[in-house]
Amino acid sequence: MTSWVLGEFGEEKALLEAARTLRAKGVAGLDLHSPYPLHGAEEALGLRRSTVPLVALVAGVIGAASGYLLQWWTVGVDWPLNVGNRPPHSPPAFIPVTFELGVLFASLAIFVGLLFAYFAFPRVHHPVFEVDAFRSASIDGLWLSAAVGPDEADGVAAELRRLGAGKVSIVPGEGTP
Amino acid sequence: MSTPAHAPAPAADPLESAPVLVGRPDDRALTESLLRPVLEPMRKGWAALLLLLLGGMGFWMLCLYRTLFVGIGVWGNNIPVAWAYDITNFVWWIGIGHAGTLISAILLLFQQKWRTSINRFAEAMTLFAVAMAGMYPIIHLGRPWLFWWLIPYPATTLVWPNFKSALPWDVFAISTYATVSFLFWYTGLIPDLATLRDAAKDRTRKVVYGILSFGWRGSARHWQHWRIGYLLLAGLSTPLVVSVHTIVSFDFAISQLPGWHTTIFPPYFVAGAIFSGFAMVLTLLIPARKAFGLEHVVTARHLENMAKVTLATGLMVAYGYAMEWFIAWYSGNPTEWFAFWNRAVGHYQLVYAAQIFCNVVVPQVLWLKRARTNVAVLFLVSILVNVGMWAERFVIIAVSLTRDFIPSSWANYSPTWVDWGLLFGSMSTFGVLFMLFLRFMPAIPISEVKELRKELEHDDHHRAAARAAGAEGA
Repeated sequence: MTSWVLGEFGEEKALLEAARTLRAKGVAGLDLHSPYPLHGAEEALGLRRSTVPLVALVAGVIGAASGYLLQWWTVGVDWPLNVGNRPPHSPPAFIPVTFELGVLFASLAIFVGLLFAYFAFPRVHHPVFEVDAFRSASIDGLWLSAAVGPDEADGVAAELRRLGAGKVSIVPGEGTP
Repeated sequence: MSTPAHAPAPAADPLESAPVLVGRPDDRALTESLLRPVLEPMRKGWAALLLLLLGGMGFWMLCLYRTLFVGIGVWGNNIPVAWAYDITNFVWWIGIGHAGTLISAILLLFQQKWRTSINRFAEAMTLFAVAMAGMYPIIHLGRPWLFWWLIPYPATTLVWPNFKSALPWDVFAISTYATVSFLFWYTGLIPDLATLRDAAKDRTRKVVYGILSFGWRGSARHWQHWRIGYLLLAGLSTPLVVSVHTIVSFDFAISQLPGWHTTIFPPYFVAGAIFSGFAMVLTLLIPARKAFGLEHVVTARHLENMAKVTLATGLMVAYGYAMEWFIAWYSGNPTEWFAFWNRAVGHYQLVYAAQIFCNVVVPQVLWLKRARTNVAVLFLVSILVNVGMWAERFVIIAVSLTRDFIPSSWANYSPTWVDWGLLFGSMSTFGVLFMLFLRFMPAIPISEVKELRKELEHDDHHRAAARAAGAEGA
């Protein structure tokens, strides 16, 4: 069981400072919510570098390799086509499709990877949406959320108020973060 | 209409150009003004225009019906002119799409601040233009229901597509381009769809936009992966867009026909694509920013910068025309030389004259700052460039085919009403899609404009500090 503690901040500096303070105190499951990417959020939360580029690279190489192999095997080996007396295996002619498939695989991996692996989407319902005021997180609000055990929730809420958060609320336990 | 209503007061410093964002509205005001087109009640003007365009779309469907049920004999195509309006329209539309990718991807990589407010708009144009483009090669197959023969699948006939031909390259290029453009557009849309979900008052919109935004919470983790993913998609789209029009130009360049068989085609086609695409963005953006009151985010600066890119790419296209003539002469090849004379003084000389006038002469007016900042002039130039680029595609594709090596096989081409219907009908269908986009999706990227405003505030702060320091020094 996890409880969600939410608080809204008026400005970025206070929000990032609060995240740093809570993290130093050992509060786990911290997250920030903002209508645009915040500079310094990754450092404040201690997030590691995104692995999206690696996924894209691997997928792109797989795509390009399979594109080349497809052409080599179909028109070079399985059914050699003689067109204008060019050799059945013609590397220069195979470049365009190889390139296109590399780009296609990398892009699909980024999109599908973002949605399903990194964001665990689609997840239309989430405990943070229980708080009506949280809707400002995509408009003009800067929010901090902490997923904590039910016993810690009150302590974290008090700490958030002390750090200058408004509209502090607790969403009682449900599932995992 | 010489100056836009929201034009800012002239800057004190003559070296500072018009701002990319008028004023510094706060996040809530920005959200409200940018979502107004989606959340306000339906306007009569919008509905009337949509109805008109739906009429054009109906005619387009009638022409498609004739083509599918009678056959492509309803077109004016013949032998030797087997490629005419169909392929002209295809190349024209796909070229228009390219400016969208250029604005959203290449200018993102170059960190051009002025791209921010117009990128979503341009990407939507790309998507719809590619959808229109993709239609033509398929209906041109004659038996379009067998188009899947182009895909390499293990068929019982044991035959594979010929990967040494440019036409299967086209299949892969266009389908990849359409897919990646959609993914890039949608990745950018997710945070704004969440904004729309949270700003909507009625239940239907909340549910629909809630589903479309997949549950975006604006979390720092979301933003971290989203940003890098978006940047990578831009990085992938950049070589992709160049490759797509290069491959389209290979359809012609790797053949033997005089007028087609030239090595200048790939760069010349890409420049032409960006030229026509920027013109189309201007054609769409100038009325839309006025109608939806977006002049504070799409400012005179945006229009002027787009006019500059139009001029620059127009000059590249003009260089391409000149170089084609030069090579035709310098090669000493009589058929090549004849093909170019035929363009200038042959049966289709008026189309060629329109091409040169619209693509080479008209854009020169954009050297003048007064023309670049005049909305009416820009709009007119953008329309003429669109016409000129269509004429260029027609001259290259159809006119070259009318006169090949053997005089006994020469024949002229004239379009039928179905040809015209498919051209104007596709414009209407494009318009319908665009009108729906303007009404149901955030046409200006909200989260990116908020980020831009923060960056600009930061710059303002630095400039003010520098001024204060300068004053102290004096």
